[in-house]
Amino acid sequence: MYGNTGIIATIDLGARAVGSIEPEEELYARFIGGSGLAAKLFWDRADFAAEPLSPGALLLFMNGPLAGVKLSGASRMCAAARSPLTGAFADSSCGGYFAPALRHAGFDGIVVTGRAERPSVLVVRQGAVALEEAPDLWGMGIEECTAVLRERYGKRCRTLVIGPAGENLVPFACIMHEGHHAFGRCGIGAVMGSKNLKAVVTAVDAAAMSVADPDRVKELIRELTPRIKDHLISQVLHDFGSPGNLEGHMYTGDVPVKNWTSNFNEEMAEALTGSTLSDKYLTRTGTCAYCAVACKRIVKVDEGPFAVPEGPGPEYETVAAFGTLLDSADLAAVCKANRVCNDLGMDTITAGATIAWAMEAFERGNLTAEHTGGTELLWGDMDTVVHRVLPDMAARRGPLGELLSLGSAGAAAALGGGAIDYTVQCKGLEAPMHDPRGGGHGHALAYAMSPRGACHVATAMHFMETGACNYPEIGFEFDLEALTSEKKPETLALAAAIGSIENSACLCQYADRALTITEMVELFNAVAGYGYTPETMMEAGLRVFHLKRCINYRFGFTAADDDLTKRMREPARDGDPAGIEIEFDAMKERFYGVMSMDPQRGIAAAEILVSLGLREESGLLWEKAP
Amino acid sequence: MSQYYKDADDLLRIYGYFLDRVLKDEKIGTKMSKAGIIIKFIYTDPDCEITIDLKNPPKPGYYGTFYLGPCDLQEDVWSKQSADHSHRFWHGIENPIASVTKGLVKQGGKVTAMLKLLPVVKPAFQMFPVALRELGLDHLIVSKG
Repeated sequence: MYGNTGIIATIDLGARAVGSIEPEEELYARFIGGSGLAAKLFWDRADFAAEPLSPGALLLFMNGPLAGVKLSGASRMCAAARSPLTGAFADSSCGGYFAPALRHAGFDGIVVTGRAERPSVLVVRQGAVALEEAPDLWGMGIEECTAVLRERYGKRCRTLVIGPAGENLVPFACIMHEGHHAFGRCGIGAVMGSKNLKAVVTAVDAAAMSVADPDRVKELIRELTPRIKDHLISQVLHDFGSPGNLEGHMYTGDVPVKNWTSNFNEEMAEALTGSTLSDKYLTRTGTCAYCAVACKRIVKVDEGPFAVPEGPGPEYETVAAFGTLLDSADLAAVCKANRVCNDLGMDTITAGATIAWAMEAFERGNLTAEHTGGTELLWGDMDTVVHRVLPDMAARRGPLGELLSLGSAGAAAALGGGAIDYTVQCKGLEAPMHDPRGGGHGHALAYAMSPRGACHVATAMHFMETGACNYPEIGFEFDLEALTSEKKPETLALAAAIGSIENSACLCQYADRALTITEMVELFNAVAGYGYTPETMMEAGLRVFHLKRCINYRFGFTAADDDLTKRMREPARDGDPAGIEIEFDAMKERFYGVMSMDPQRGIAAAEILVSLGLREESGLLWEKAP
Repeated sequence: MSQYYKDADDLLRIYGYFLDRVLKDEKIGTKMSKAGIIIKFIYTDPDCEITIDLKNPPKPGYYGTFYLGPCDLQEDVWSKQSADHSHRFWHGIENPIASVTKGLVKQGGKVTAMLKLLPVVKPAFQMFPVALRELGLDHLIVSKG
């Protein structure tokens, strides 16, 4: 086997039973790797009756076929599980250095079941995994725990760690890698916590990897690296990080302000954008393995209530979630909130969005001092957010901490009284900081159709709609108008496949914007020997997309869950997109038609599943189902 | 063959009139001047160039200086595109990101600094058709769709 190692480690934490699975080579090409292969393994091996945080729940860490290849953007990996936040199949992507290390250890992934008797660390060495008890680490913040693991397993070890939020089973707890990179979304950190698994560590030396066509791989790296580096998006990312275009996005109405009640605030745009972050707080840049883009920010805030020592800086999503969304222009507070969330191990998008919802609920009087234990939740009050609310959420402490630790949809359901109307989420997952009402109406459809909930990276729609993609090989040369529904369902049909390919290949969606479809095909073939054509690669992407929806259907999700909240359907109140309504229902109906999906069940028609090689899945869901 | 411009002189006359308005405009000009860069626009069909200096002190009443035709100033960033594409851009009907993605616009140098100007110059999209009208060139006004 090329690229992939062909071996996936398994461990039952309760029984301390270690093993491995060796999927047939053909399975890799059919499901690509990463989130696609994770979905297939989940379908085949998961106990669908198991609650997300029960010992029977499955937790997967999965590499893509390109892990270890010295190409910008190829060093991401996937974690997957049933989300404790949404109840749906969840996959989360993380950059950094763990993916190559896992490959060097000889594994394509790790499948974890059971619950360790005591807090433990899963240690991956060359060709072996082992469970080591580590009760002393339980309760530690992520920074401290990561430092201790480095002392224990050596400076070159690579770490995936949960914080107190994961230990406390906060359903949007994340997993942090090296205290900087995050498997942010869907609460997979809580799944680790439920298994008493504080950390996963690799302690391996670099090893040679076998690729199908070594010369062509070298050529591709040589050709693609400067192209990726010089790409417009890469240049912005390198100079200013992912918040680099916050100001530009604000002018289009893409950046949500004050819990999505506004689409424009010029002062905040200037105060929070990436160039301001660079000017005021950047000390140096960081990167993922082998990446020439170097978009990571290392920041330091010297003084004031939000002082932070030098360390990981915020991404765009965090800047907006703890800036504009909370009606704050305080960039130091964003840096601090980012560091607090990282150390506690909480997804910054869900955390920020839930607090924004709570601030509106407090303003409306739906949430009172009785609910909050006396805490006043006022717009822009970052001192309360950073020093009181976030720690309470992670600890599930007090009435407010307990309520907000449910995420916005859970908290709104608990509060009742129409509070769900002004949440901004699909399937229980809070939307990222791109407002479809200004950024592009296709985003709205993409959020609703994404298997894991409102997500801008499950598909490539975000980039395709804004003009960052040109794929003539698959017929995508559309000049899309952002604020219309025209061609959006047809675009999403392609974007769903491309997003699935990217997440299964574990490619960075920034770096691979420079790649053509043909080059993606060549990479898969030269590295892993998949023998793809553009058509069969796109088919693999579609297969993955439909399989994830089949998994969700088994968890009870139907077409009715492919929906937007009332707030997301309201026309924007200001900015460029003011007053324009999204034709969501028409787009949804059209998308179902384009994808041959059943308008009630929300899964593909039986013949589509069969044509994609999902015969067993089709049989279970269409023939045996009532 | 350009759809909108007879020759380079025609283009430079129109852009000269337009840029004179833009660089005097208090709202747009103030923000543009913060960029502190020199931009060279290179046009094809007809072939010509325009340089906008947002770095050196402008003459009174202006927020920047423009030079029609070849110029000795060393640019910080350059952008090359067809004159017709630029004409549509100034009407606000070309997506600049898509234009770069498709290779319709090439650029080099401090590209990110120029990118920051995009939202700033957006109000000028309304000024360009007005400028054309004032020059008696209504037939060159392009509408969406």
